[in-house]
Amino acid sequence: MPAPRRARTRLACGLAATAVAAALAFAPLAAVGGTLRQALAWLAALGLLLAAGAALRLASLLAPALVVLLAEYTLVLVGRGGRVHAAAPLVGAGLLLYAELASWAREARPRVRDERPVLTARATMVAASALAALGLGVLVLLAAAVPAGGGLARLAVGVVAATATLALVALVARPTSTRAPRG
Amino acid sequence: MTRRPTAKIAAYVGVAALALLAGLALGRPELVAVAAPLAVLVVAGLAGARDPELAAEVTVDRERALVDDQVTVELTVRAADPVERLEVLLVVPPGMDGPDGAVRSWAVAVRLAAGEERTVAVPLTCRRWGAYALGDVHLRAHDRFRLFTWERHLDRQAALKVFPVPDALRALVRPFETQVSTGSHVAAQRGDGIEFADLRPFLPGDRPRSINWRATARRGALMVNQRHPERATDVVLFLDSFLDVRGPAGSTLDQAVGAAASLASAYLRQRDRVGLVSFGGFVQWLQPGSGQAALYRLLDTLMETQVFATAAWKGIRHLPPRTLPAKALIVALTPLLDERGVAALFDLLARGYDLAVVDISPLTHAGRAGGEWDELARRLWALERETLRHRYQRLGAAVVEWSDAMHLQQVLLEVEACRRRAGLAPG
Repeated sequence: MPAPRRARTRLACGLAATAVAAALAFAPLAAVGGTLRQALAWLAALGLLLAAGAALRLASLLAPALVVLLAEYTLVLVGRGGRVHAAAPLVGAGLLLYAELASWAREARPRVRDERPVLTARATMVAASALAALGLGVLVLLAAAVPAGGGLARLAVGVVAATATLALVALVARPTSTRAPRG
Repeated sequence: MTRRPTAKIAAYVGVAALALLAGLALGRPELVAVAAPLAVLVVAGLAGARDPELAAEVTVDRERALVDDQVTVELTVRAADPVERLEVLLVVPPGMDGPDGAVRSWAVAVRLAAGEERTVAVPLTCRRWGAYALGDVHLRAHDRFRLFTWERHLDRQAALKVFPVPDALRALVRPFETQVSTGSHVAAQRGDGIEFADLRPFLPGDRPRSINWRATARRGALMVNQRHPERATDVVLFLDSFLDVRGPAGSTLDQAVGAAASLASAYLRQRDRVGLVSFGGFVQWLQPGSGQAALYRLLDTLMETQVFATAAWKGIRHLPPRTLPAKALIVALTPLLDERGVAALFDLLARGYDLAVVDISPLTHAGRAGGEWDELARRLWALERETLRHRYQRLGAAVVEWSDAMHLQQVLLEVEACRRRAGLAPG
């Protein structure tokens, strides 16, 4: 496979990721109005800038891009009031899709020739992840709508989930390198 | 293997934690729905991540090749567990080109099932002579969720020697003196041979078949033919490797090595004995030998020639005496740049060796002059080199400048003409 074609894979993934990020950044703006909308537009622009940077240039911008997009969505949710946003699973799946495409774009180095099974498996994995994320988001929203034990039980579940995630953070942050002799 | 987490894992975990905390604080299940996929993917990735057990081998389809030949490096990788993406990167050494014109490195990403063995054939084109060690391979494995990478460096050292393509030479520099063994050069001495040398009166013991009957009839006394015998000679190729001037079209050392290989091959075909002195920062030598084995020995030694920077003074006295046999023809291939190489040639002349100097001009490799001052410096440099050549010629050596545009055969003919003018060449 000639080098330009390999570079096209990288560019296509990067542009697709940027497109998803643009949708994530600007679609929620329709749900709000007034000054909040103007403020969120700036945040959306920043999020898009970071997202494009992460997808096309610097992998280290991935976390800031996700955080800004999440912050924007959180502000939109706050601005909406008490109503549950039914499109939240789409946002979750979109965030995951954006992150996967961006990391794929960084992974597809022009000098490395990916064999077709690798590309097929990766595309399948990304699509399956996005669909699973969508399904999981729907399940979470449905579970949240079920009256189960009142507010205290739900709070307990939330605390357990948050604690588990923080434990996960600690697990990931620990040194994980394992070395074997060279050669 | 060395395991590294990717940037993605920290981003996912951090964003999921933030979203969960925000969801908890604000009482918004939507944020939990956003966070859940990221958290689940990380948990699944951590649960499934394990060090891939990889085995790899590197082989080259041959040990020797010629410049512009294509050799195939086979990288065989085996995985005990499935590997979703394995990047195999082969370092392409300078002087070789990878597939699609890749320089420095060539990489492919493959997917391996459990227990699967894959062989990746990488064709490399040899662009420059030399001794290469192929097999510098980097492996990078990715897990299914691309949360971790595992890296490993292999250095299997598959040896490959790339020889320059020898030029077809029809005429070589003929030695002034020959050795006693039979060869292809017409010796100056008289004895049994084919070439007619002179007539002399018949002496007891002369063979009747050597009687020249016409001369006998003319002179009225028995006259016999004297002939020149065909003898072999010892040729020592003296390679000055102190400095190398490299340009876009090659380098002085490339020219010298190519010429040395061609000369060695041509002289050995004539049943001469050929030796080598690679005289530079790192001195190597081979005593004169003959036959195919000597050729391979010599080429192998030539391929290891490289410029090794050192300030230590090197002289002829550092060489074993048998490296430079008496009556040997020494063909020096030198850019006349380093004073140690220049002095060594003067030393050889002073010791009475039959010396022919091929001055490989660095001017053609040094690039064009950029301005008036560059042009002046270039002219001064050329003048200095001309003076040096005249000094050698005054001492009896044949010196010819070899510019890049000339074929080696032209240079040798010019050397021969120069020696004939100086009365050094036989005939």
